[in-house]
Amino acid sequence: MADVDGQAGIWLVVPPKVGLPLFLGTVTLIALLVHAAILNHTTWFSAYWEGGKHKAAMSTTTVPPTAALAPAAPSNPTK
Amino acid sequence: MADPNKVYPTGLTSAEAEELHGHVINGTRIFGAAAVFAHFLAYALTPWLH
Repeated sequence: MADVDGQAGIWLVVPPKVGLPLFLGTVTLIALLVHAAILNHTTWFSAYWEGGKHKAAMSTTTVPPTAALAPAAPSNPTK
Repeated sequence: MADPNKVYPTGLTSAEAEELHGHVINGTRIFGAAAVFAHFLAYALTPWLH
């Protein structure tokens, strides 16, 4: 890739042994902080990592699906 | 950059710095693409931002 704007010159001032770990470490740190913040401020993220519980955590209603969808019990026409 | 063979205090020449920076940019693009894909999945499959 051609360096058209001179930004590659940073490696003439900052040693790669310092700059690359600093850059990659910063990216990693921010990613971990964002995930930790989501983990500590939501219910569905921890449920997702817990596994098998995400549907219960994602559901905000308390209506059992079977009760909401089940038709009324038919009366017996033979009696 | 008058002298292309000049070794700067970091131990790199201008050409070496450009080669290294190309790898950094390429890695950033790959990371960005993976992040966009991950955010699409997060939006589609979780309550995030809904």
